[in-house]
Amino acid sequence: MVPYIRAQNVNLTFRPKNRDPVTALQGLSLEVGRGEFLSLVGPSGCGKSTFLNVLLGLLRPDQGEIHLDGKKISGPGYERAMVFQEFGLLPWRTVLANVELGMELKGVPASIRRERASELINLVGLTGFEHHYPHELSGGMKQRVGLARALATDPEVLLMDEPFAALDAQTRDLMQAELLQIWDRTKKTVIFVTHSIEEAAYLSDRVVVVTSRPGRAKKLIDIKLPRPRDYEMRLTPEFNDIKATIWNSLKDELISRGIGDGR
Amino acid sequence: MGVKRIYEEYQRPILGLISLIGLVAVWEFTVTYVIEFNPFFFTKPSHIATATKELLLGDRLWRDLAISSRAFLWGFTTAVIVGIPMGAVMGWRTRVEYTLDPFFTALYASPLVALAPLIILIFGVGLTGKAVLVFLLAVFPFIFNTYTGVKSTDQLLINVVRAFGGKERHLYVNVILPSTLPFIVAGARLAIGRGIVGVIVGEFYAASEGIGFAIAHFGDTYRLPEMFVGIIILSIIAVLLTEALRKFELIIAPYRAEMETR
Repeated sequence: MVPYIRAQNVNLTFRPKNRDPVTALQGLSLEVGRGEFLSLVGPSGCGKSTFLNVLLGLLRPDQGEIHLDGKKISGPGYERAMVFQEFGLLPWRTVLANVELGMELKGVPASIRRERASELINLVGLTGFEHHYPHELSGGMKQRVGLARALATDPEVLLMDEPFAALDAQTRDLMQAELLQIWDRTKKTVIFVTHSIEEAAYLSDRVVVVTSRPGRAKKLIDIKLPRPRDYEMRLTPEFNDIKATIWNSLKDELISRGIGDGR
Repeated sequence: MGVKRIYEEYQRPILGLISLIGLVAVWEFTVTYVIEFNPFFFTKPSHIATATKELLLGDRLWRDLAISSRAFLWGFTTAVIVGIPMGAVMGWRTRVEYTLDPFFTALYASPLVALAPLIILIFGVGLTGKAVLVFLLAVFPFIFNTYTGVKSTDQLLINVVRAFGGKERHLYVNVILPSTLPFIVAGARLAIGRGIVGVIVGEFYAASEGIGFAIAHFGDTYRLPEMFVGIIILSIIAVLLTEALRKFELIIAPYRAEMETR
């Protein structure tokens, strides 16, 4: 069977002016199944976010290619949507207009746009805030808008770049639980980048440990926890075993970068 | 609803008005009872008030204002039409930036009013000369503020729009223009002040009409109350224009209104 997403031997080197080139990705190969929830964990600066941007089509690899449903990715496309770490909401647009952005660029008629945006705002629990501006929202609410916006164009694949990293711990727990519910309902393929071992273990079907720069897939770990998952599951010995497995694989990468400070 | 509530609600205008009235009162009192003053070199509010009444009832002042306004509007409008696109292109295209930047920076930094004699020589003492002077003074705030606005556009938002399938024109409309708008408004604020200076200097230097000429003329003939009327009218016009600009900004960028009141 051909996997839904297949990255083969992806290499990417940044060549900034007046500075040494940085190889962000080298020989990264990865396969993702349709409907799968896959997390990438790795040391900071290992190229996880770069890989996500390649998947999104904003960056082009120097070598190797990524196929999605048999088609080569060569630019942004409506079957993929990103949830950004720093939210990336347009400050001059209301919540409603922010959620409509993707549909607007896609050319969806205004009335359909409005209806669909309202549905999604409801899905992420922001009904009543349609006409608020981003600066009036808390971090958690902003990321709900980011999630609704990404879902609005009805993509097959949701790319999430440390979406909850800027949130406080409790909001983060809440958002994780809601993301799982939404994922369960919408059956999207999710590729989720995170620093947090716990987050990766709790959410994912599989966790990919990425090596320190240049990044490539070091180890794939199946998370064989039953679904639906709840918060209490994180307190079980099985969950701790999974965390330990991820940690053991990640540890060497942190140490090899000299940043093994126990995070 | 007591006096205290009303005060808290309108604290800003009330205190502003008190300081203004206070200044006028102290001025009037001082020159009436404390220091003898020579009416050739100084004046006082009550005399200015009388002069104001006379000038407002006559038609000379209104004609002067109309003449100066025309020069200002021509110069300012041209500055908007030329300055904003030029600044935008400079901000978006590095090559244009590198080519024009040294030239514009030098012009912006130099006291352009020094060019007034030359401009008047070339374009004449009438409308054109003054409008060119206004344009020269007002265009650089538009160029540089638009340029800075475009340059400081958040790269994340550009990526967001591109990620959702936006093409270059979508970037302009959805990201670059709205994020540059506050910079342009700030530039317009500067340009209003500089543009008024342009008109006045043009009329000081060589003219037979216009509000700048009137001020110079009243000064030359020791009619100080009348001269002060001209100056005060100019301040009022500058304030009104700036205020109108603020209202305009609130209409086109309502999200900033709410940010400001926070």
